[in-house]
Amino acid sequence: MLALADYMFYFLSLLILVSALGVLTMSNPLYAALSLAMSMLGMALIFATLDAWFLAGVQLIVYAGAVMVLFVMVIMLFNISAEKQAFSRGTVSGFFKLASAGVLLGLIAGSIYMSAETVFTPPPIAASEKLGDATQQLSEALFSRYVFAFEVIGAILLVIAVGAVALSRSVGGSHAND
Amino acid sequence: MGVDAFEITVNVAKLILIFLMMVQAVPILVWLERRGSAFIQNRLGPNRVGPLGLMQLLADAVKFLFKEEFLPKKAVAFLYLAAPVVALIPGALALASLPLGSPIEVAPFAMLGREWGPYIFKVQGYDIGVGIVFVLGVSSLGAYSLLMAGYGSSNKYSMLGALRASAQMISYELALSLSLVGILIVYGTFNFYEIIAEQQGPLEFGMFGREFRFSFLPDWGIFYNPIGALLFGVSAFAESNRLPFDLPEAEGELVAGFHTEYGGFKMLMFYIGEYGHMIVASALLAIFYFGGYGLPIPSWSTEAVNGFFAAKGFGSTSASLMTALVSHVSILVKIGIFLWIFIWVRWTLPRFRYDQLMDLGWKTMLPWALANAVVTAVWIYVINIK
Amino acid sequence: MSALFAVIFMAVFVAAFGTFLVWGTAKLGPKRVPNEVRDMPYESGLPGQDMKTTNISVKFYLTAILFILFDIEIIFMYPWAVTYLDAVRAGAGGYLLAVMGIFVLLFVIGLIWEIKSKALEWD
Repeated sequence: MLALADYMFYFLSLLILVSALGVLTMSNPLYAALSLAMSMLGMALIFATLDAWFLAGVQLIVYAGAVMVLFVMVIMLFNISAEKQAFSRGTVSGFFKLASAGVLLGLIAGSIYMSAETVFTPPPIAASEKLGDATQQLSEALFSRYVFAFEVIGAILLVIAVGAVALSRSVGGSHAND
Repeated sequence: MGVDAFEITVNVAKLILIFLMMVQAVPILVWLERRGSAFIQNRLGPNRVGPLGLMQLLADAVKFLFKEEFLPKKAVAFLYLAAPVVALIPGALALASLPLGSPIEVAPFAMLGREWGPYIFKVQGYDIGVGIVFVLGVSSLGAYSLLMAGYGSSNKYSMLGALRASAQMISYELALSLSLVGILIVYGTFNFYEIIAEQQGPLEFGMFGREFRFSFLPDWGIFYNPIGALLFGVSAFAESNRLPFDLPEAEGELVAGFHTEYGGFKMLMFYIGEYGHMIVASALLAIFYFGGYGLPIPSWSTEAVNGFFAAKGFGSTSASLMTALVSHVSILVKIGIFLWIFIWVRWTLPRFRYDQLMDLGWKTMLPWALANAVVTAVWIYVINIK
Repeated sequence: MSALFAVIFMAVFVAAFGTFLVWGTAKLGPKRVPNEVRDMPYESGLPGQDMKTTNISVKFYLTAILFILFDIEIIFMYPWAVTYLDAVRAGAGGYLLAVMGIFVLLFVIGLIWEIKSKALEWD
């Protein structure tokens, strides 16, 4: 018997899959970026069905609000009609597209098949009384058990910032004359 | 959305009412803006149509409805038409998650031959536990409508305006979200109701083992974190793209920014989105730093007001309803004051240059917001040492 | 879950309302007469030029990528901020302060480096 939550899950999964397919099939890069944003929105809603509203909010802030805005900005920044021609036409690129999609599909199917037992036995989750949400547990885990990973993220973000500035200063590249 | 027909009906009606509230606020704010600017600049403003020119709003709305439909030839039709619709969504979603009054407790009652209730109706669209994270999340979607409008119009001015607007919005979003860290440390919760409950009663706090109490001041967040309140207010101005931060539509350089190619009701929908952002920012300012729906007098807490109405002979349901009404008026007055400050600043200060704007965001607001968070954290640690 | 339905209802309702307004005003307004000059992109009275000639500064891209980095760092401070007060009262405040202190130190180093390297200068 399917509960309401199950219908919600299947509906949102369908939304995510259709918009992810849209990313691949749309030839206009801006539409592709917008459908990627749509699939990230669907991910946020999936988090919300699990009552993980904090993660849903973070998904919106970081992915839909920041990463995708960067993508859309970059698409508007360059005149990409030449790349559009190169990537959306031709037998060779079509073959590579199909081949890489097949490899990825095989990888995903294989990993699901091999990890089915661990994934489908849900771990026991104790509900937090104070926040009515898993935020308390999240920060406990983040700042005690995974504290090293947390600090490493800080260092990695610093490295990325330095790298981004260095890259933006370099002269030349495929769009040097745009 | 509820357990039975009555609760579902009320909850759906609340959502629609909140959206209509946002849409209805726009003509009033436009009128206030035009009269206010005229007052500040020693002019008259619209005063011919109806009393005080109030009917001008109606005339404008009808005029917008009957404007000619216009679609530029080079425009990407779907993006061009979808952008104004998308502009409405973030503001409405954020506004519906804000508490605009104390919860109404409805005692069981009989209607249509059966027993209903008891219910608790909150004066908001939906209560999401991590309130502020949700509001920041949906507000960050605001950049999409600008980028869609800029790209869809296929016009240089629109494109430049949209790029400027989104770069500005994301720059100030950093300062906005960082300025809230200080007050979150003080309250230790994301939930709006818990934050408002902390701000009831007179200002009192313990420090180094001593108790301080100011019985004439309310226990508002602004007394704990004034720098955070200032930074939040300024970032909210920049987020809503208004003067002195209205570089995206600087009319001397970019005609009208990202909505250059728009006219009629589609342009008005961008305005509804912009005013929605302003209303949400004002409401957040009221909730975090000015007691939310609480009354400004310390002894008039929500329970006290409820007790006052109960003592006057109201039943428990109607006393709760009256309390909700009083608290609703209280937060509306606070929001109205902040909206007036928005308008006041717009017509008083000149516009920044773009490099000044970015400097202010990245080199002034961001370090100050960070310092505010760090100092608050250290201070909380120091005063709690036994 | 119940709140999620309300959120989705609100989003769909607002989108439907907006679509109805866009469609309705298109029906209500006068019919347009084709006019080549008016259909051109607005260009302050000059004949319209193509979009390709518009050069956009790479600064916008840099701003966006730096925004993502700092945004992620700030998001990590949120769960920390709401647990901090309870931790201080329970006596674990020093540990949490040290953990976040290192993180914020990296943040500050990044910010100072960006400012010193003039990556945030607009001209």
